[in-house]
Amino acid sequence: MPTTVRRMRWATALGAAAILALGACSGDDEPATGDDPIVVGVSLPLTGDFSEPGKGVQQGYEAWAKIVNDAGGLLGRRVELKILDDQSNADRVVADYEQLIGKDQVDLVVGPFSTRLVVPAARVAEEYDMLFVEPAGAAKEVFEQGFKNLFYAAPAVANDHYNHLAAHILALPAAQRPKTVAVAAMDDPFAQGTAYGLRDKLKAGGLSIVVDEVYPPNTTDFGSIAAKIAASRADVLIGGSQYQDGVNLIVALQQLDYQPKLAAFSTAPTNPEFAKAVGNKTEGILSPTGYSQDAPYPSNTEFVAKYTAQFGTPPEEDQANAYTTGQVVAAAVTAVGCAEQGDCQRKLVDWIRGNEVQTVVGPLTWDATGKPRGAHMIQQWIGGDIRIVLPAAAKEAEFRYPKPAW
Amino acid sequence: MPSGALLFQSVVLGLLLGGLYALLAAGLTLYFGIMRVVMIAHSAFLILAAYLAWWWHERLGLDPLLSMVVTVPLFFAAGVLLQRMLLARLRPATLTMMSVLLTFAVAVLIEGLLGYAFTGTQRRIQLDYGSAGFGLFGARIAVVKLIAFGLAGIALAGLYLVLKRTRFGWALRATIQHPDAARLVGIDTERIAGYGFGIGLATAAVGGTALALDTTIYPSLHWHWIGPLMAIIVVGGLGSVPGAAAAAMLLGLLQSLLQIPMGTTWAQTVFYLALFATLAFRPQGFFGGRLAQRF
Repeated sequence: MPTTVRRMRWATALGAAAILALGACSGDDEPATGDDPIVVGVSLPLTGDFSEPGKGVQQGYEAWAKIVNDAGGLLGRRVELKILDDQSNADRVVADYEQLIGKDQVDLVVGPFSTRLVVPAARVAEEYDMLFVEPAGAAKEVFEQGFKNLFYAAPAVANDHYNHLAAHILALPAAQRPKTVAVAAMDDPFAQGTAYGLRDKLKAGGLSIVVDEVYPPNTTDFGSIAAKIAASRADVLIGGSQYQDGVNLIVALQQLDYQPKLAAFSTAPTNPEFAKAVGNKTEGILSPTGYSQDAPYPSNTEFVAKYTAQFGTPPEEDQANAYTTGQVVAAAVTAVGCAEQGDCQRKLVDWIRGNEVQTVVGPLTWDATGKPRGAHMIQQWIGGDIRIVLPAAAKEAEFRYPKPAW
Repeated sequence: MPSGALLFQSVVLGLLLGGLYALLAAGLTLYFGIMRVVMIAHSAFLILAAYLAWWWHERLGLDPLLSMVVTVPLFFAAGVLLQRMLLARLRPATLTMMSVLLTFAVAVLIEGLLGYAFTGTQRRIQLDYGSAGFGLFGARIAVVKLIAFGLAGIALAGLYLVLKRTRFGWALRATIQHPDAARLVGIDTERIAGYGFGIGLATAAVGGTALALDTTIYPSLHWHWIGPLMAIIVVGGLGSVPGAAAAAMLLGLLQSLLQIPMGTTWAQTVFYLALFATLAFRPQGFFGGRLAQRF
């Protein structure tokens, strides 16, 4: 018996020492003064299906917290992230947000990754009257749920990605304007959303759709689709692609020597390996992009530099979207002057609804459903490099139309 | 009504695709002919060969076609081993059914290892001549597709010559036609079956390389191929190599032409419709082969 007691005493002493040491450490790296930290709760898919983008979003949030804290925190208080892992599971994400809001009493919550998880998470936030800014819920269902506290922190939903391009094409003089359009899209809500947004706007503008193909996600042979498009000799080619399907379709079209005046593909052309994958025959290919490290917005320059210093690689779109989410929340907190549960949340929501926020993806505003009112930047491959060509305010190079042969 | 140019282009693409199907199905029908084995893992080996060709090009910088110098003998040996060590141990009474389970496991194993080694990222061999093509009576023919078709043609012709003109081929065909009788005339059917299996797998090495030239590969791609290939060998008459080749050309052509009115998604169903029609009206297949009756 005496030994047990002695052991316990030792353990207590050790434990106390450890707690003191930890307390001392955490006290040291607290540059921001003030009372309690602002705790921001988030549940992320750190394991499971979405673990790859989930980790990207986590890095974005971490970069945001660090950059804010290095600059003195929010309202003079340190920002502290509380991150739970929802294992990419929609039931789990609900439990996580209930725990964060109800039990952990976090001051603010921000959104998880992927539409599938954003919708259930937003429902919980709505029940507790919490502001819910989210980095990844571009599908239209998100905005059809009647959420009042939700804001999507990105320039545009899938359907609006090509708005700048559509406006530019329709503004061309009648003689130059293209007349026919060929569309090929993967059977996937996001890929179709982007392609059909442009297709429908061009159709409404008087262009005729001569080919409109849908292919299953597992398609590896694009010979026949390419043959149809090539035979139509359409002026405009729209590819609702992800990555590899876009590459395959472009190669198949090049094999058939099809030369459109304009070729726009979603996602694929912005991939770092794209040029090599199509044998550097990229000339004139267009792509919408939600985020560019080169975009000339002031906070973006700071974000890219500090993010690169923190993680060793420049940020990609997932990281940028999470960072944007943080920026939107921070802007509201600073303007309203509070960050806690209760009435404050309503004030934050009202502020965001009525104001424009400057972010790394440009200025953002939202409609009543929380859908952003912007459009994506349009990039074009010019001389072996992908450059922003639209909108005019952000352009790095002149938009080239008709595109040179690829 | 589609234009004549599009029809002709689709016929050309269909024939090129059919040639590849023919080669890929040849091995599959051979296994069934030799030992009534339904080899689910055939397409997994196909993808394995495609990955090896990709890796060969990516790491060594050599033309992917040269990878066959290694993969063909390697796959032959793997086929012999697979037959002797695993399939030959199954009880003859339940061989066909159990072979489905066993080779299913092999397929999953290969898929898992590919995912482990190369991740699930989609890969494509980047060739200088990848997007090159030439005109032929108004249609365009891609160089890579023609190479794949040529490989298929050479491999099938080689297979045909081996089966028809060599003593080994006679022994193999005797084993296919009547294993007991073959044993009676002194053929070591066990050994012949092993070699036959090796040849089947060697065709997968050639087919996989041809496939890798012009399409994307990823570890689970083999599930996408096994269905159409199974349909082809049933339509062609199980066990009949020329039957499989004829069915492959026909279905490849049909698929390509049907994509014009039906689109990519629905054109794929041609394989399964042909499969149903064959099983309903002519279970022994349309191009020779009497084995299905004993199935």
